[in-house]
Amino acid sequence: MKLAIDRYAYLDSPIHHWQQNYKIVGLIGLIFSFAFINNLILLPIIIIITGIIFFLSRLPFSYLVSRLRYPGWFILAVVFLLPFMVGETVLFQWGELTLKLEGCQTAAVIVVRFFCILTISLVLFGTAPFLSSIKGLRSLGLPQVIVDMTLLAYRYLEEVGDMVNSMEIAIKLRGFDKHRFKYRNLQVLARLIGSLLVRSYERSTRIYQAMILRGYGYKIPGKKRVKKLLINPENYQDLLATVLILSIAISLLGLDLFLTIR
Amino acid sequence: MHIPDGLIPPSVCISGYALTGGMTWYALREIKKDSNPQANIPKASLLTAAFFVSSLIHIPIPPTSIHLILNGMMGAILGYYAFLAIPIGLFFQAVMFNHGGISTLGINTVIMGLPAIAAYHLFRLRDKVPRNRQFWTKVLAFASGAFALLLSATLFAAIAISTISPDLDAAQERNAIYLSLVSYGIQAIIEGAVTVMLISFLEKVKPELLNI
Repeated sequence: MKLAIDRYAYLDSPIHHWQQNYKIVGLIGLIFSFAFINNLILLPIIIIITGIIFFLSRLPFSYLVSRLRYPGWFILAVVFLLPFMVGETVLFQWGELTLKLEGCQTAAVIVVRFFCILTISLVLFGTAPFLSSIKGLRSLGLPQVIVDMTLLAYRYLEEVGDMVNSMEIAIKLRGFDKHRFKYRNLQVLARLIGSLLVRSYERSTRIYQAMILRGYGYKIPGKKRVKKLLINPENYQDLLATVLILSIAISLLGLDLFLTIR
Repeated sequence: MHIPDGLIPPSVCISGYALTGGMTWYALREIKKDSNPQANIPKASLLTAAFFVSSLIHIPIPPTSIHLILNGMMGAILGYYAFLAIPIGLFFQAVMFNHGGISTLGINTVIMGLPAIAAYHLFRLRDKVPRNRQFWTKVLAFASGAFALLLSATLFAAIAISTISPDLDAAQERNAIYLSLVSYGIQAIIEGAVTVMLISFLEKVKPELLNI
C-alpha cells in the first residue's frame, strides 16, 4: 500500500514556504467561509480565489483531477436528482420530467462549494509533509493523546497495508477467489482481518516497550513545557499571508450575509 | 457513508465539530480512568491503522462490491478509544483519498463514533450474562456490528437528505431515507456476520484483545 500524500510536499512554491500551522489557520478559515456561501453571485469569486491558491501551490493539475475523480462522481450522484425534485420555477419540461430553476441553483452551489473546498484541502495537506501537518495541529492545541495516536497510526499505516497485501497474495496462492460471494469467503476474509488485528496488537506491545525504553511519558521533574507561540515575529510573512486569507474569508462571509439579508 | 464537503449547511458542520469536541472530552475523561492509559495508546493506534486498512478490503456483492465500515467492531474492541480512533481514520481518508471532507470531519465523526460507543456498551453486556456466555457473545457481537452500521446509516441518511435543500418536501425526504436504509440493511447483516466471525476468531486466538 503506497501513500501518495507526500508526493508533492517538497516542491518550491509560495504555498510550500508558508509555515504549516499558519497555513492551517488561514486555509481552514477559508474552507469554512466557502461552506457558508449560499449566493450564486459569489460562486465565481470563490472559484477565482481557489484557482489563484491552486496556481500558487504549483501542484500538478493531473494530481487535482486524480483526487477529484471518486468524490466527484459521488457528489454528482447525490445532486443529480435535485434539479428535477426541488423548486417550483419550471425551466424545461419533457413529459413527466421537469427541470426546475431552484433545484439547478442548489445543485450548482453544492458542486462549486465541494470543488473549491476539496481543492483548498488538497493544497493545505498536499503542500507540506503529513508530519508537519500533525505538528501544526499539535501547536494549535490538539490533545496530546490524539496527536500520539495519529502519529503512531500514520507511522504504521503503510506497514499494516503491506501486511494485508502479502496476506491477500498468500490466500490467493492457496486458491481463494475473492470475486465470489459466499459464506466461506466471508469467513476467510474475517479471519484475514482477525489475523491483521492480532499481528498489529502483538507489534504494538513491542513498540510500547521500545517507547518506554526511550523515555515515552517520562516528565523531567521541575521542567515546565514550553508553550509554542503561534505569533512569531520571525515569521511575519507567514502571519501576513494568514491575515490576508482570513480577511478574504471574513469578507466573503460578510458579503454572503449582506446578499442574503438584501 | 461519509458526508462530503459542501453538501450540508455550515450550521450542521459547526454543530458536528461541537458535538465531536464534547464527546472527545468525555472519551478522554473515561480513558484517564484506566489503570495505565498510556500503555493502551500504542495498542489503540496500531489497531486504528489495522481497522483503517481492513475497511479498504472489498467484499463482492454481485453486481457490485462493498467495503466494511467496522465501527461496531471498533467500539467492541477499543471502547472509548474508538471515539479517538474514528476521527483519526476519517482524517486519513479525507486527506489521503478525499473521502468525506475537512469541513464535515466533525459531523462524520458523530455519524461513525456515536454508534461505535453504543456498540461498545451493547457488547459489554456479555460481562453481565450469568450462563451460556459463548452464545450470548455471538448474539451481542452480531447486534453491535449490525446495530452500529444501521445507526450510522440512519444518521447519515437523515442528516444528508434533510439538510441538502430546504425546498425538498417532507414526503420525498422520508422516502429517500427509507430507500437508502434498505440497501444499508443488507450491509448491516454482512457487517454483523463479519463481527461475529471476528469476535469468535479473537476469542480463540487472542482473548486479551477483547479486554483492552
